[in-house]
Amino acid sequence: MQDTKPHIEVRNLEIYYGNVPAVRGVSFSVELGEQLTLLGPSGCGKTTTLRAIAGLEKPTGGEILIDGIPVYSSARGVNVPAEKRGLSMVFQSYAIWPHMTVFDNVAYGLRVRKTSAADIKDKVAHALDLVQMSDYAGRSASQLSGGQQQRVALARAFVFSPSVLLFDEPLSNLDAKLRADMRIELRDLQHRLGITSVYVTHDLEEALAMSDRIVVMRGGVIEQTGSPDEIYRLPSSAFVADFVGSANLIRGRHRADLSTGGTIALETKAGDIVHGMAYGRPVGAEVEVSVRTVHLKLSLERPTGAVNVWPARIEQTVFQGDFTQVHLAWGGQHLIARCAAMEPIDVGREVFITVEPKRVVVLGG
Amino acid sequence: MQSAGSPISAQRLAGYGVAAIAAILVLYPVFYLLQASLDVGDPQVRPPTAYGFDNFSGLFQYPQILLNTLTVSFAATVMALVFGFVMAWILARTNVPGRRTFEQLMAVPYYLTPLLGALAWSMLGAPESGFINQIWRAIGFSGHIIDINTPYGIAWVMALFEGSVAFVMIAAVMKSMDPSLEEASQVMGASRLRTMLRVTLPLVLPGVLGAGIFVFAEMLGSFAVALVLGTPNRYYVITTAIYQLVQQYPPKIQTAAAMGVSLFAVMFVMLFIYRRIVMGGSYVTITGKAFRPRVADIGPLRYILLGVCVLYLTAAVALPLLTLLWASFQKIAVAFPHASNWTLDNFRAAMSMNAARSALTNSLLLGFATATIGTVLMGLLAWLIYRSRLPGSGAIEYVVMFPQAVPRLVFAFGLMWAWVVFPIPIYGTIWLLLIAYLTVFLPLGVRTIASVMMQIDKSLEECAQMCGASWGFRTRTVTVPLLVPGLIAAWLLLFIASVRELGASILLMGPHSKVITPAIVESWFGTSTELTATLALVQTLVIAVAMVVLVLVTRRIGAQRVD
Repeated sequence: MQDTKPHIEVRNLEIYYGNVPAVRGVSFSVELGEQLTLLGPSGCGKTTTLRAIAGLEKPTGGEILIDGIPVYSSARGVNVPAEKRGLSMVFQSYAIWPHMTVFDNVAYGLRVRKTSAADIKDKVAHALDLVQMSDYAGRSASQLSGGQQQRVALARAFVFSPSVLLFDEPLSNLDAKLRADMRIELRDLQHRLGITSVYVTHDLEEALAMSDRIVVMRGGVIEQTGSPDEIYRLPSSAFVADFVGSANLIRGRHRADLSTGGTIALETKAGDIVHGMAYGRPVGAEVEVSVRTVHLKLSLERPTGAVNVWPARIEQTVFQGDFTQVHLAWGGQHLIARCAAMEPIDVGREVFITVEPKRVVVLGG
Repeated sequence: MQSAGSPISAQRLAGYGVAAIAAILVLYPVFYLLQASLDVGDPQVRPPTAYGFDNFSGLFQYPQILLNTLTVSFAATVMALVFGFVMAWILARTNVPGRRTFEQLMAVPYYLTPLLGALAWSMLGAPESGFINQIWRAIGFSGHIIDINTPYGIAWVMALFEGSVAFVMIAAVMKSMDPSLEEASQVMGASRLRTMLRVTLPLVLPGVLGAGIFVFAEMLGSFAVALVLGTPNRYYVITTAIYQLVQQYPPKIQTAAAMGVSLFAVMFVMLFIYRRIVMGGSYVTITGKAFRPRVADIGPLRYILLGVCVLYLTAAVALPLLTLLWASFQKIAVAFPHASNWTLDNFRAAMSMNAARSALTNSLLLGFATATIGTVLMGLLAWLIYRSRLPGSGAIEYVVMFPQAVPRLVFAFGLMWAWVVFPIPIYGTIWLLLIAYLTVFLPLGVRTIASVMMQIDKSLEECAQMCGASWGFRTRTVTVPLLVPGLIAAWLLLFIASVRELGASILLMGPHSKVITPAIVESWFGTSTELTATLALVQTLVIAVAMVVLVLVTRRIGAQRVD
């Protein structure tokens, strides 16, 4: 390891619009070549944070460093304009210039950098090739479909070899099928180019599929930072658990007497005992755990040898294609289970829920 | 590296530069106007020796003028609203044949200028010599059927032309009304009439009220029609009174200034109320979305409504133009048709007469200069106000839109008073007219360019920035090319507005810097009806050419909308 300095570093970033806070003290760093995603519901401050890194939004406080050099610092009075930060960005609306051809759109950044005409031709051709748009170079940009505009915007963003690529919900204007395809293509391209990138989305699947690391934001602050697997498997708060996939939240009193090697036991209000795992997080007297809806297994007979076995009654089933969503009444609260390839069960039936203790994650920390 | 402390970028410099120019253009004359209105000292001495409100209290010596102004404005507003409402309802809500064509034609009266209408209607409706009254007597009656030189005659001509403004405003309200609001009422079982009375009317009413206030404010400040039709009978409204007070010898500058300030104050309040009504948004009809309004099938009745449309456009466009055309080819305009009466002399005179030729040349030159300088200045201002996010851009918007509330005659009066004492002698030259035009047309130009600018997604500029382009480079390669259709439209509108300008020009032009519209007025009062008609036609032709180009350009904007 020669270089451990992060490529981008955001320290205590604050952005206020008048008196309204959009971002309240956000800190994270992006390693060289890493793909980091800012994930959160609309209004959580993720796009504002991205635009602040780009230099399109002026923060109120904090610091942003690129390659260790501050491009914004409230303390030192530094604010490098966007065009001098050496970054590039793909916009939500694609921002394809309608008065230029596809070629001219892509060549723009190179022309700004006074690249020779021959080089421009080569580089644009290569970039268009990478996004499979070579045949459209002479087309007027206003004649492209949404997916094609997306590809052109992408080529335009990386053609001049920027050090960082910023993505502002680039796939949100595409239809679902195309979005899924582009997701894979984008990830693939990012790996081939090896560019550091910061990606903003409110779409969970997109974040999980594309990122090396995810920063979950809410109300202008960071809720959790971690790899996609960590975020999904070990949500640290009720918000993350619920926003990242669907989860059941269960509260109860800590029963230290029943907790054995590695597992934590809690007793719900209704008196059921739930065994879970703390994953090194502190456990107080009141415990809240999260269980993903896909991890609840239903059976008609009482299973033997399982740790968490809870009797419940089926309230409603909703067929959703790839899975069936089952609403259950269990000890004074409702649980939701998503079961793949399930035989239909009648409403009102008594069933047994089982769940492995390692899937029951203690929140907090 | 650039620090946040010293961002004296080209961007800021340009921004604050044009803001300063706009502020000087607008505020400098306003200051002198206010000063003159409060000057109660010796009228021969400047700067004033004493200040007070006597000029304003002195205005009560002119109750007749106040009454005249209110009579004319009120009558004209009511008529204009009726024209506007009826036409809007017919063209927006019924299946009258040729709706689209008529809708486009409705803009024509506005561009024909009230002055042209006043001249033509004077030829048509003067009690003795008017064509209509001559025909009336020729078919056996005596006396006259109409008299255009009355308050209601003045109001009639004003309403004909302002009717197209009322039409545009009311039609916009009718079109922006969600048709499902009416459909919901019908689904609930209400009859057509009940729906109309309980749903449609209450929803449209604020829009009509807003249009009424706006039109009334415009009527208060209008000048040309009252000048042509009122002054021969010594019937003065406030604008013509101001003109008279400034032109007479000795001029009563202070009283004129007080009148101007009062008029401006009233208009300002009215436009403020108008904005409150329109922007209030308590009515969800104005959502900014354009709906396809439900068009009622009115059966054979639609041919009657077609007749109504034709009638309005005849009175406002066809009849005045034909009258002028007729008069321009006659030796004596108001005589009955006779072969020996035809002549081309008027056109020869108009082209060869020095005064007329230089006035037309000056107007064209000024039109080009105003449009060209104005487009650059107002383009920068529009960008500054709506795009730059530089601090203080909100205040600049107020300053720039300020001339909207001031009648051009009053503004010109302030300009005159301001520039007379200016050390560089530009008073009485064409340069002062250029300054005046650039000032009074600020709202027109900025609004036109801004409306196109708003359609351009901000990220198109931001993306250029992210590609590393400096402000100058991205303005040249992205912003301006995208704005081109809007800039051309603004150029043409400014050109048209300059060529037909009367209120400001009539006060500011000097003996060696005559322009066409005041020259037409001078010719009307001093030379001959026939020559006046010819000059008015020539002016209309110039404007018509610019109009055709404008329509072609705006069509293209619509065709290749930037998203």
